[in-house]
Amino acid sequence: MAETKKYWKGLEELSDSPVVQVLRENEFASELPVDRFLADDKSMNSSATSRRDFLKFLGFSTAAAALAACEAPVVESIPYVVKPDNLVPGVPSYYASTYFDGVDFASILVKSREGRPIKIEPNAQALINGSTNARIQASVLSLYDTQRLKKPLVDGAEADWSALDRKVSDSIRSATASGKSVVLLSSTVNSPTYLAMLEEIRSTVANFRHVSYDALSVSGKLDACEKMTGMRALPVYSLADAQMIVGVDADFLNEANGQSLTADYGKGRKPSAEMLRHVQFESVMSLTGANADKRFRILPSQRAAVLSALYNAIARRAGQQGVKETALEAELAKSVAKTAEELWNHRGRSLVLAGGGDYTSEMLALGISRLLENFGSTLTFKYRNQLRTGDESALQGLVNDLKAGSVGVLILDRCNPVYDRPEMAEALSKAGLLVSLSEHLDESASMAGAVAPAHHFLEDWCDHQPVQGYFAMQQPVIRPLFDTRSTLESVDRWFGLGGKSALGRVKDHWLNGRFAGNVDRWNEFVHDGVFVAFDEIMALAEPSASTDPTLMDGLTFSSAGAQGLELAVYTKAGMGTGRLANNPWLQEFPDPITRTSWDNYLTISASDAKEIGLENTTQSNGALNGSRVRITTAQGKVLDMVPVLIQPGQAKGSVGLAVGYGRTKAGKVGDGVGVNAFALLTGAEAQQQFLSGVKIEPVEGEHEFACVQLHHTMMGRDIVREVSLGDFLNKPAKDGGLGWNERTEFETYAGPMNADKVNLWKDFDHTTGHFWNLSIDLNSCIGCGACVIACHAENNVPVVGKDEIRRSRDMHWLRIDRYFSSEMTEEVAEEQSLGAIEKFRLMEDPSENPQVVFQPVMCQHCNHAPCETVCPVAATSHSAEGLNHMAYNRCIGTRYCANNCPYKVRRFNWFLYHDNQEQFDINYAMNDDLGRMVLNPDVTVRSRGVMEKCSMCVQRTQYAKLEAKKAGRMLKDGDAVTACAQACDTGALVFGDANDAESKIAAAKKNDRMYYLLDEVGTQPSVFYQVKVRNNA
Amino acid sequence: MKFRLPFSIQPVRILIFALLAPLAAAAYEVQGDDANGKALFNANCASCHKLDKKLVGPALGDVTQRRSEEWLIAWIKDNAALRATGDADANAVFKEYNGLVMAAFPQLSDQDIKDILKYTRTGGGPAAGTATGGGGGVVTAPVEESKDYSPMVLGGLTLVLALLIALLVKVKNTLKVIKGEPETNLLEDATFWTRTIVRSQRFIVLATVVVSVFLLKELYYGLMSVGVSQQYQPEQPIAFSHKVHAGVNKVDCNYCHSSARVSKHSGIPSTNVCMNCHMYIDGSEIKTESGELKYAGERSPEIAKIYAAVGWNPDEGKYTPNYEQKPVRWVRIHNLPDLAYFNHAQHVTAGQIECQTCHGPIEEMEEVYQYSPLTMGWCIDCHRQTEVKTESNGYYAELHDKLKAKHGDGPITVEAIGGLECGKCHY
Repeated sequence: MAETKKYWKGLEELSDSPVVQVLRENEFASELPVDRFLADDKSMNSSATSRRDFLKFLGFSTAAAALAACEAPVVESIPYVVKPDNLVPGVPSYYASTYFDGVDFASILVKSREGRPIKIEPNAQALINGSTNARIQASVLSLYDTQRLKKPLVDGAEADWSALDRKVSDSIRSATASGKSVVLLSSTVNSPTYLAMLEEIRSTVANFRHVSYDALSVSGKLDACEKMTGMRALPVYSLADAQMIVGVDADFLNEANGQSLTADYGKGRKPSAEMLRHVQFESVMSLTGANADKRFRILPSQRAAVLSALYNAIARRAGQQGVKETALEAELAKSVAKTAEELWNHRGRSLVLAGGGDYTSEMLALGISRLLENFGSTLTFKYRNQLRTGDESALQGLVNDLKAGSVGVLILDRCNPVYDRPEMAEALSKAGLLVSLSEHLDESASMAGAVAPAHHFLEDWCDHQPVQGYFAMQQPVIRPLFDTRSTLESVDRWFGLGGKSALGRVKDHWLNGRFAGNVDRWNEFVHDGVFVAFDEIMALAEPSASTDPTLMDGLTFSSAGAQGLELAVYTKAGMGTGRLANNPWLQEFPDPITRTSWDNYLTISASDAKEIGLENTTQSNGALNGSRVRITTAQGKVLDMVPVLIQPGQAKGSVGLAVGYGRTKAGKVGDGVGVNAFALLTGAEAQQQFLSGVKIEPVEGEHEFACVQLHHTMMGRDIVREVSLGDFLNKPAKDGGLGWNERTEFETYAGPMNADKVNLWKDFDHTTGHFWNLSIDLNSCIGCGACVIACHAENNVPVVGKDEIRRSRDMHWLRIDRYFSSEMTEEVAEEQSLGAIEKFRLMEDPSENPQVVFQPVMCQHCNHAPCETVCPVAATSHSAEGLNHMAYNRCIGTRYCANNCPYKVRRFNWFLYHDNQEQFDINYAMNDDLGRMVLNPDVTVRSRGVMEKCSMCVQRTQYAKLEAKKAGRMLKDGDAVTACAQACDTGALVFGDANDAESKIAAAKKNDRMYYLLDEVGTQPSVFYQVKVRNNA
Repeated sequence: MKFRLPFSIQPVRILIFALLAPLAAAAYEVQGDDANGKALFNANCASCHKLDKKLVGPALGDVTQRRSEEWLIAWIKDNAALRATGDADANAVFKEYNGLVMAAFPQLSDQDIKDILKYTRTGGGPAAGTATGGGGGVVTAPVEESKDYSPMVLGGLTLVLALLIALLVKVKNTLKVIKGEPETNLLEDATFWTRTIVRSQRFIVLATVVVSVFLLKELYYGLMSVGVSQQYQPEQPIAFSHKVHAGVNKVDCNYCHSSARVSKHSGIPSTNVCMNCHMYIDGSEIKTESGELKYAGERSPEIAKIYAAVGWNPDEGKYTPNYEQKPVRWVRIHNLPDLAYFNHAQHVTAGQIECQTCHGPIEEMEEVYQYSPLTMGWCIDCHRQTEVKTESNGYYAELHDKLKAKHGDGPITVEAIGGLECGKCHY
């Protein structure tokens, strides 16, 4: 029996307010804005244009248009003078490269057409982080950002490189002469070539030093690791064999300190008796918490307390000494004890991850792992992790030196301290010369006396070593678009290292070093993008964990029970730490949890909001508004006009605020979006990533959110199916109406029938040729949104901006619906013999700690499509391969199809989003010559007034078929894959030809968990879902 | 040292060559077979050498004057070995041509080489000095057979008709005389009948209907042809003749439009592809129909445009260093709207369609024009009729049997595999 949970999309919907009821009836929340110009009597009357004039103009323009139409424009076709050998116009090339911006790391393939990189794809050959998240998928657009720095700047004025080089090297020389220090401040650097170059500088320039820091610091964690193993490096995690994972405030699915755990997590979450169990303790509802089997709410300050309670409970089982413990509420203590018991049962195959960046939490998490004998299995220190190496104490030393005026030259590389360490701004101004190596004239660069524009990563050579013995090559895919220069070259010139090019330096490093002059090995490395030094890895041994009995002594716990609320800072899946703030794809990407784009906001629990008098209201046009507050920290820092979003699942007594917003010099897209949470953090709090004793007071006015939460409702029908692991393993899926995944049956004259059999129409024959199907596993989908951005990039989906999103006019072809559910079900109520009143009260009051399900929805490609039958011009029609086609040029924009679509997946072009700089300047992928270079030339850019929707990447299936025909072979499973399925590294999306019996999709279609969305409508979709299984152990 | 002229006018060169040739003959007499020599020369040497002028390598018309036969045999068989022996001449030549390595021809026998040398002296003709070279395409348009009727026949027919009319008028007037009416001549009859018909209401109605139908038809076709650029023949920046290249010289379409086999674009050849041939063929040998040199032995101004684009210095036979290359701005003739996806490889490689099916008799076009309407109706018609080339394509291995079962013994057209579906071309 399927669970009869009530799913809803927001508090408004749950309480079934009249506004929501009205909205539900309206497919399009706003009317055409005709009244805006017709009903405005004043402007109509005052207009100088009379009706006669209007007709005259009309007549003239018609005649002019008719005349102009007589002559067709002359189109030129300009070939290369000398065509590069490996380039065929119209055929994409792929290059292996690497993304590392100090935060995210990935080995990628770059798809390039006619020399223009247009898409980032995962590199399957990579053993570490061969997958892409939303931010990395979107990074290709930033290459074509016209607001990147185009020329070097000296004292704020454009200069040429020689002038800049002269200024910087003179300053370095004079600093050296006067005994002042020369410092290079960067985010984490893991490039062997770069580090070797810094070493070279250090040997010649005695007063040079390199300091690195991370925007969200994990310095305390590194200290803990050093104490535990003697090596200042984070552990490398492996979830491949894990059976139990516990996150304590750790949003490891969004961001595990540079390491991507999602692929292994997705694999581990395939339902079976061995299924990975996930328990999460956290304050802010994070992407990770949303995926947990069991989620407990704690205050940020309780992080260490929960970890120490876990430690002690496990230590007791292991017969070892415990640590100091702070009391937890009875309920929570019980949950912790139960979790500890589970962990003990899975020792050797479990993992505890702590959030924040502080020493205490990490020490306890490592201690727990040591007690559970997880070292060497789920986490290892064998290979030095170099994804986060920032050192806060060194940074503090630098700040002190700056204040003392002893820093002659400070070079900033790929970091923006004025934004993410606002306290440093004053100290920075005291540097003799501030030099910035930056792509944008950002907050820090605009303070610098010399700004050396750096390449975008797709223009630059570099190498990376994310973990010891494992190397990744970053090769350029396009010539530099502007007068920029590689960081490796700039630093080389300034310190007089011989004027090597970036390629020359990287190549020399490898040929003179590890490859010992073997050019073939170098070529192979560049081609593959990855290189594993197996000989080195084989020689590595797991460092023995410290056995010092005093190791756990002297842990400092943050004081709980301070006055006021606790504020946790976190990163959103779309924005990270704000490095790509000027990327419109990411700004428009709705946050997986709050479904809000173009904003950050203070997340608060419903009960706290009620207490303080804050509210979220839904406007009659379907848009969401929220109160505004002023945040005052215990240190007296103030952040004003912060919008409030009431978040189910937020721990009472805590609030959350995402970093990455509130940029002031990111560019026209990112400037002024949200507020800067970094501005609240100081010292130790930055390590813990939370603040205690925060005061919140409402201020005047309402904030307007661009929230897609209430849009596209599915009328509360049975759309998400869920079953417990116990039922999944022990009960049949179909059992005469009592199974956990039954199909709807209708009584007919010929006996009971499924909806797809009860129909008026002739069925399509899908046995001949291909039958493209897409399977979506709700169990593996973590809601990360990589697919949404991949779809954006592949299909030239426009960005419409905050105002249009508020009007429900978002254009995403693929959305990830997020449903909250209550833990109270009919069954549970029966078991606990609750009365009806109590049962319904609990069902309606789940906002305190809901369970979450993510459900990606795109066009379902119905084989009896409701949209096809209502189109008056046959613009949408069916294909023999099971796809629902959309001929844009035939569409006249009646929108009947969207009205008749039960899945609400069709998107209407209300405006001309391309070549319309006046109105959609932010959509720079379509509005300036440079931005347009990112467009996929195989997909039409849609014009105003037409419907569009997911095409199941028909350009990709067509391409794969043609490649097979050209090669004269059958199509293999995996030849054709949609952009979304390709970007999905948890394996939730599987695409293929269901007529190929050997294919993965054919197997998925036969799976017990398979069900169709709104099966009872009888639409026979080509997309199907797999029931979510919750490991309720 | 090589004899160098201060100017490079072809006829003068040939003249001097012709004058010098008898002198050279005095040096030594090459024994060989002229015809075999020509064949071998064309097969092995012609890509780098000409008789009368420098190409990649030196002009060979006077080579027997400059070098001894033994030396030449040794050089041609394996010039690297000859150079290795420290032969001064060999190394000097090598140096003169900037270390450009000439291939070794160990497969040629001594007699073969003698045949070639003989050919270099005679130039394929009976007398030395009449070298014609290999490349120049001589354009002669085939005379079309006239299908018109000769004036003689037409004149005869007219005469017969006139006689018939005269006869009928005579008969009519005879009958009128019998009836006692006055005789009328032909003009009077015609006027009478025309007036009667034009004044009749039926005629007016009929005429109106016919004229309106005609006008409406014209309007309809006029509107339907909006945006259809059939016969579009823009002027191109270079007077490139497909007739000369694809027709007379039978250059394979895929040689220049190489990406048509693999890509959606047929590809306008990049200028370096032109240079593969035009490094050697500068058009000075092009003759008109009457057999005269078209450009008076000068370089063709059209081919000079290619040189200007890539920066080739034909006088020195090398590329100008650091030349700012200027791409040729061809005018695109076939403009499909962006909303239609067309893939050349799909049609050329998978569909095995001849280029001419859509592009018309391209090998006969001096200047290319759009042969097909490129309308959707035209695409669809073809997709309805064309059979899919399933044989010998492994892609259809299983699909073919299924399609046969579904469509019976009828032809499997593009339509049958979904070639009429909207989303196959519009996405």
